[in-house]
Amino acid sequence: MKQLHIPVEHTTLANGLRVVASPDHSAPFVTVGVYYQIGFRLEPRGRSGFAHLFEHMMFQGSENAGKMEHIRLINSSGGLLNGTTNYDITNYFEAVPSNALERVLWLEADRMRALKVDEENLRNQRDVVKEEVRVNVMNQPYGGFPWLDLPPVAFRNWPNAHNFYGDFADLDAATLEDVRTFFRTYYAPNNAVLLMVGDLDPSEAFAFAERYFAPIPRGPAPPRADISEPSQIEERRGEVPEPFGPLAAIAIGYTMPPRGTKDWYTAGVLDRILHGGRAGRVHRRLVLEKQIAVEAGGGADLLETNGPTQMVTRIFPKPEYSADEAIGAFDGVIIELALQGTKLEEVDPVKVKIRADYYSMLEGGMGSYMPRFGLMHYLASFTLFDGDPDRVNTILDDFLGVTPADVQSLAQKILVPGNRAIVIRRPIDKPAQTGGAR
Amino acid sequence: MSTSAAVNSNRSAAPPLSPERSVAWPKRTVRTLANGLEVVLAESHTFPKISVELFFRSGNAAVAHTSPGLAEITASVVRTGTASRTSRQIEEDLRRMGGDLGTQAGADSSAISIAGLSEFSAGLLDLLADLARNASFPENEFERERRQKLEELKIERTTPGFLASDRFRRVLFGEHPYAIITPTEEQVAAYRREQLEDFYRRHYAPANALLIAVGDFASAAMMEQIEKTFGEWSAPQPEPQFVPSPPPHAGRRVYLVHLPGAVQAQLLAGNLGVTRHDRDWYRTVLANAIYGGAFHSRLVANIREQKGYTYSPRSGLNPLRQHGYFSVHAAVRNEVVAATLTEIFYEMDRMRALPVTAEELESARNYLTGVFSLGIATQDGMLTQLSTQYLDRLPEDYLETYREKIRALTADDVLAAARRHFDSANSQIVVVGDREQVLEQAALFGHLEVFDAHGQPIQLAAS
Repeated sequence: MKQLHIPVEHTTLANGLRVVASPDHSAPFVTVGVYYQIGFRLEPRGRSGFAHLFEHMMFQGSENAGKMEHIRLINSSGGLLNGTTNYDITNYFEAVPSNALERVLWLEADRMRALKVDEENLRNQRDVVKEEVRVNVMNQPYGGFPWLDLPPVAFRNWPNAHNFYGDFADLDAATLEDVRTFFRTYYAPNNAVLLMVGDLDPSEAFAFAERYFAPIPRGPAPPRADISEPSQIEERRGEVPEPFGPLAAIAIGYTMPPRGTKDWYTAGVLDRILHGGRAGRVHRRLVLEKQIAVEAGGGADLLETNGPTQMVTRIFPKPEYSADEAIGAFDGVIIELALQGTKLEEVDPVKVKIRADYYSMLEGGMGSYMPRFGLMHYLASFTLFDGDPDRVNTILDDFLGVTPADVQSLAQKILVPGNRAIVIRRPIDKPAQTGGAR
Repeated sequence: MSTSAAVNSNRSAAPPLSPERSVAWPKRTVRTLANGLEVVLAESHTFPKISVELFFRSGNAAVAHTSPGLAEITASVVRTGTASRTSRQIEEDLRRMGGDLGTQAGADSSAISIAGLSEFSAGLLDLLADLARNASFPENEFERERRQKLEELKIERTTPGFLASDRFRRVLFGEHPYAIITPTEEQVAAYRREQLEDFYRRHYAPANALLIAVGDFASAAMMEQIEKTFGEWSAPQPEPQFVPSPPPHAGRRVYLVHLPGAVQAQLLAGNLGVTRHDRDWYRTVLANAIYGGAFHSRLVANIREQKGYTYSPRSGLNPLRQHGYFSVHAAVRNEVVAATLTEIFYEMDRMRALPVTAEELESARNYLTGVFSLGIATQDGMLTQLSTQYLDRLPEDYLETYREKIRALTADDVLAAARRHFDSANSQIVVVGDREQVLEQAALFGHLEVFDAHGQPIQLAAS
């Protein structure tokens, strides 16, 4: 087995900003990210969608780079940029030719230090976000399935259970003062990590980081939302109407063990036994063998979350099968794993695939257009959630150490009705297609 | 010039770029085997993986007039069985090599792609060759794929983006095979297994193929392995097809696809355009980047950042092998359909009427050349670059000269390209939305026809 070693250097500035650099001179690019430890799960109660709306505001200009300037400066340096809002973090990132590293850091520091927003920007981005929600959720077949459907059914604590994209009434209620308060509360250097990956010299990169970020004052420690879930005993079920798509869609979510525990690593292997593509048990049984479903698959985002997280299976049953029949076939797969377990002949190849997928993610991870996005993303998780960016070189060992017996005992423990939630998207009855020659 | 932090003493101004580091384009090893198979290899050693793709220069366009979508379902069934492997064995063999497999067909080509850990290179190549040469088209797998395709078609007919592309391609290409992006349910129901086998026999042939491998290998050894695995393969080359060009479009016309209950309108506008072989290709690429092809482009600044009509407006060039087309898309709230179309054409006309500023020109040239070089930093990115060059039969120095060619362009080039290819007066416009909400606005932009989601015309009551 060929071992891969990723060079990692890290430091912490006096204001609490953590800084991580990973040199890689294979091509003249750098990928830079700033990750703030505030995600949609942590946004203030009654302010659904605010973390994401705020992410948009971070592109609206800062003291020395006005609206569109930030975007212009990255594009005209030959680079790409974006931001995303996730459960536990919000990230801003750029991939640029390596001669633009200093410029990127200047820009990121300027908006961390002095975001500049006004009523007009807020109105504008509120409209943009509404169109984003329409194009991704309200005007698409199966839009938001299952990531927006499952949480309100699976969880009881508002941070885990609310509408992450935001109710339009909450978006409309957001004020400029809310934006400023949120910025002051969560966008302090001591609540963030800066990552720099690619064709760079770490000591020079750290000097740039010091120069541009060190003057930003530390903020008070941000409040941490309580994201704990009360214990669950009963199976939870919900239904959501599907306005466009012709098929029912089923999502089954099991809550995963806490991050970093022995069970958590075992869950990573168990997930791939069930969901590893067409060789995974769920797809093989439901789509290839029984042919009950048009599509069945899923997985768990273990490495990038830090709180109640579900392994989610999505099933699109053929119309001649009921949802109950599809769930019954799925239960057959689950019960078989719990009762009969697995063998090395299955676990060993699954581990090879875990290793290959990990390398692929480190190399690219966001299509092929943003090199090392995945490496940056994982380094951020290991820094913010585990306090140790070097985990990038050791975490695989913990997954590869899982045994078949571990998998079976975990299956018996967590693949139970009292640890799962099921949501069914049901097509609404539509009036006949209107008009015309049909 | 030093890049030390002291250089930039004024912290209120953006630091200048430091000197550009040179871009080392991948060294290619290129050979055509005795059976006609073209092989391109490029090494990339950062991660212990390989990515390989085997292309055949025949896709859905080759069968559009007899059996639309046949290339696509052939590709789907290719991965489900060979003379010596069942579907389950194929998937398990892949997994034990850390592999990912894709089989697909577009308008112009079919492809089998395989990636995995480099320690299993030989096994991955064997599996690829087995699929390319010995696919067995099991009856039950064919029926299963056919059924899945039928269900997918029903979902596609409820997806605004798909409905827009479907109508747009029909409008632009008329009788040309590029008009059809998907089969009907009736056509899928009529496929016979023998047709798939026949397509496979005729088109999955070494003289019709291009193999590109990128990854952690030594090229000489990899070439030897490929010769060993693919050298014995022989099959006749398919006959080239001649297809007449679609006629140009005269006059703006609007096509409304009625999607009852839609809470947003999907707009798609554009016209026939250039291929990568056109003498206007590079200048049109640059004009597109300034118009709507980048985040920092005029269209995005206008209808997103100033007006808030839409989340992800974009324009693009779509170079198919025989013809290209230019397209602009935006999903907007129902109330601003007319307002958005007005801005889309205003920005096109501005590109046609006035030269772009020196700053816009410089910015867009840097954007294109920078992003082009980011492509070589991953195996998949490199494979994409190489497939563009070799599948499209571009000159051998395509990668090395792309950036110079972009950098040499002037504001006059951009103006000329916009005048020729951003043909606002003859643009074809598709609007997918609820006709109760958007019909009146759409009708302002030209002669209007209305269709349902299944492509059937809807007669409008005389007014």
